[in-house]
Amino acid sequence: MPIYNAQILEIDAAETRRYAGLKTAQNFGEKNIADACAEALILSEVRGVWELYDYKNCTVESEPPFTIAGNSIIKHLSGCEKVICVAVTVGAAIEREINKKFERGEYLNSVLLDAAATAAVEQAADLMEKNFAAKFSKEGYKMRWRFSPGYGDWDLTAQEKLFKISGAEQIGISLTSAMMLEPRKSVTAIIGLEKKGQETRGKGQGNCAACNKIDCPMRK
Amino acid sequence: MIEIFDGAMGTMLQAGGLKAGACPELMNIEAPEVVKKIHRAYIEAGATIIETNTFGASSLKLAHYGLENRVHELNFAAVKIAKEAAQSQAKVAGSIGPTGKFISPLGDLDFDDAYNIFREQALALAEAGADFLIIETCIDIQEMRAALLAAKDVCNLPIICQLSYSEDGRTVTGTDPQSAAVILDAMGASIIGVNCSLGPEQLVPVVKILAENCRVPVSVQPNAGMPYLEDGKTKFPMDAKTFGSWGIKLVEAGASYLGGCCGTTPEHIRELANVVKKLIPNPSSLVPTLMLATRSKTVNIDKNLPTVLIGERINPTGRKKLAAEIREGSLLGVKKDALNQVKAGAKILDVNMGVGGINQPEMMAEAVKEIARITDAPLAIDTGDAEALEAGLKNFPGRALINSVSFEPDRIKNFLPLAKRYGAAILILPLTEKGVPKTSAERVAVAKKIIDAAKAHGLDDGDFLLDALVMTISADKNACLEVLNTLKLYREQFGLPTTMGLSNISFGLPNRPLINSTFFAMCLAAGLDAPIMNPYDESMQNVLKSAAALLGKDPNGLNFSREQGLGNREQKNIIALPTLDAIKIAVQEGDKDEIPALIKKAVDENFSADEITERALTAAMNELGEDFGSGKIFLPQVLLSAETMRLAFDELKKILPAQETKTHGTFVIATVKGDVHDLGKNIVGALISNSGFKLIDLGKDVDSAEIVRAAIENDADIVGLCALMTTTMIQIDKVIADLHAAGCAAKVMVGGAALTQEYADSAGADAYAKDGVEAVRLAKNLIGE
Repeated sequence: MPIYNAQILEIDAAETRRYAGLKTAQNFGEKNIADACAEALILSEVRGVWELYDYKNCTVESEPPFTIAGNSIIKHLSGCEKVICVAVTVGAAIEREINKKFERGEYLNSVLLDAAATAAVEQAADLMEKNFAAKFSKEGYKMRWRFSPGYGDWDLTAQEKLFKISGAEQIGISLTSAMMLEPRKSVTAIIGLEKKGQETRGKGQGNCAACNKIDCPMRK
Repeated sequence: MIEIFDGAMGTMLQAGGLKAGACPELMNIEAPEVVKKIHRAYIEAGATIIETNTFGASSLKLAHYGLENRVHELNFAAVKIAKEAAQSQAKVAGSIGPTGKFISPLGDLDFDDAYNIFREQALALAEAGADFLIIETCIDIQEMRAALLAAKDVCNLPIICQLSYSEDGRTVTGTDPQSAAVILDAMGASIIGVNCSLGPEQLVPVVKILAENCRVPVSVQPNAGMPYLEDGKTKFPMDAKTFGSWGIKLVEAGASYLGGCCGTTPEHIRELANVVKKLIPNPSSLVPTLMLATRSKTVNIDKNLPTVLIGERINPTGRKKLAAEIREGSLLGVKKDALNQVKAGAKILDVNMGVGGINQPEMMAEAVKEIARITDAPLAIDTGDAEALEAGLKNFPGRALINSVSFEPDRIKNFLPLAKRYGAAILILPLTEKGVPKTSAERVAVAKKIIDAAKAHGLDDGDFLLDALVMTISADKNACLEVLNTLKLYREQFGLPTTMGLSNISFGLPNRPLINSTFFAMCLAAGLDAPIMNPYDESMQNVLKSAAALLGKDPNGLNFSREQGLGNREQKNIIALPTLDAIKIAVQEGDKDEIPALIKKAVDENFSADEITERALTAAMNELGEDFGSGKIFLPQVLLSAETMRLAFDELKKILPAQETKTHGTFVIATVKGDVHDLGKNIVGALISNSGFKLIDLGKDVDSAEIVRAAIENDADIVGLCALMTTTMIQIDKVIADLHAAGCAAKVMVGGAALTQEYADSAGADAYAKDGVEAVRLAKNLIGE
């Protein structure tokens, strides 16, 4: 399956702030956040993999086929005739440092590094989307924003099949029996390709809008 | 003279009978007449250069159809058909498309493998008699570099290099047209351009930037607008007439080779040819100046531009820790220095991997790849080893600087061809086998010899950076004066930019920073353009900033004034407050620097450990809890306060080891079986343990039996259970049931992203905490405080 390890030159400090639950605390931790972003950049080992499949009757025509269940995801992919299954990670090194920091009593910096790592993996996924957009817009396709198991009512157990057909294993991600990705800062997602339509993806907007947890401190 | 390329091939092949899913290049063998007819249609429409039907005829692409062994045959046949069609009416350009894979570290294709794949195809096209080679539709500069190297190695044909840009004006992998022009021009591309992805309108600005930044002609082959799908077919909206009319703007922007890409037809080319054939192309007016580039940024060194700082820190010489790290194969310190130097203002990074006992070429390759992944500063490859130099130049996705080329025979013989091959600039060190020339006149003479040798190898004025060679004044009283004079002579005689490593001047003297910064100021005035220095050195940075204002590079000292205005904020003097109040405020503001001294002060003032804990520390946390609850502050702020608390407790224990502070009780905490997330649990644990509880943290993915055992063994007052996901929160039910079955009397508190009060109630938990601050409040309630 095709590999694309996107290059991140700067981790988005505003997104890091949001993931740290500091969206509205603008005067706090400027330097800590900048340091966390720089450290996350150094420690990130971005790896990404993807595959393109036909999509018909709520089924990804992979081998074996993957039938999609869940109203929100079915609605999200309605009208799409192809889907991209993608997996991306920023690796385990950053994870180890997050834990080390907490053990050393650097609670704040640990939490900020964790947030910066989240921002990094989302950015890497955004950059993969940019690659897909360039590739498939040539053929006239429009892209729906990426949707992951656990969004809306798409059950987390869908992770098992998506994990396989996205090639996640190829880039060193593993899946626990409780359907969690390891390293933790990893994303699997499905992206619908449709012939035409207006639904373009604002930066990360989609995933928050699809989520029911409206009191989330990270919500946009 | 304007040249006209043809238009789309793929759609024409489909119209000529190419089946969906079949290999287009196989038509060269199976339906040569169809291919020839397409060529003829374009020539009749006015094309003066036609492209062979070989876009996907590399072994990697042909492997999709099991045709990887027919590279030579398919490319050969394609050129033959094109030449028959062209006769004397048009030239034939052998088309080479991308492999579809990314080159390491962006993908899993090795640079050398990519080179070999391109080489095989380029050789077949050249041998078959193509007039040009055209490498097109690439989205990664590193892939383009591999292809260009391969093409130049197998033939002397003019090579056209065309990247594809997205709507943001960069390629998918981030390359801007200026950097592309700088990199490809230096590597010897004959024509530089752009094709596909966008329509003519969006490509006008791209063409303009390309033309402004290279000395060679610029080509452009737009799509017929932005595509859409209709009845399962990809359609392009722009009609031939509109497409053709954009030719004027494209020529004005600097293009002299024009054609079409996806969605264009012979009609589009006819309209385009009619519009542009009478136009006169704009010749390049580029005066070569020294430009270095990375994948995504260009840095220009010139006497009329701001001083460019070259960061010298990525060098293990005299840095034991860094040397040891590099020897162990770790590049963590190197990457840190890369980011920090850029943050400190370095625009170019010197990279030296001179550690004994390592494979220097391998390490240089790795270092260059890793640094180029995280910064956009061009690199100076600093080595005396030709193999390490080549490894660095090859793996750097940009135009690097070679540090350095002296007049020693080995350097001239080995380094100059590498500079030419990889399109690198050279730092010229006026040094001969006999050593350092003493006087400025001698140095200028040696520099001249190196420049002449470099020009004989095909380098030119935009490729040179002259080093004035700094010796130490403790050994030679005129060392500084000779440098100043060398700088002046360089400027007068060559007009080329200058550099030097500064710190050598003060070797063996006291107060080196003073000598260094004074020397730096003098050199800047004498014409130093790109100092090699330690960007963390504040005194040098100050000189740089003030000199910029003095020398007119920071007009009217505007930037200088702006910067001086910052950083003078007043600090609150909490020391003046009563000590316990000061401790409270220090905790609330997370002032970790002040807290140990304040605790000591409180102890000196005879407050007991309990008094300090209750009246200052706990009071601070209580207020923080309230502020958090009302949304005035946020969790990370509470955590910083918790860190400060922890330091306060540590300090108390250190000063008053005998005085035990009382604990509220024992709190056993764990993330349940199957769940690998533990940051949330850690946060709760940190806040609990810094609020006077004895914390026993069992970690993540903890089995129910283990939690029950620990709860009983430690006589826990509270058991805290954390689960993040819907798939793991069912474990909470099990642990609670097991605790009850074992007769454990501890209260159970639960929390985690997926949990709710309802779920907690149904599982039989005593409390549900939605966050760490709430957990502290509830814990105190549960034990009845």
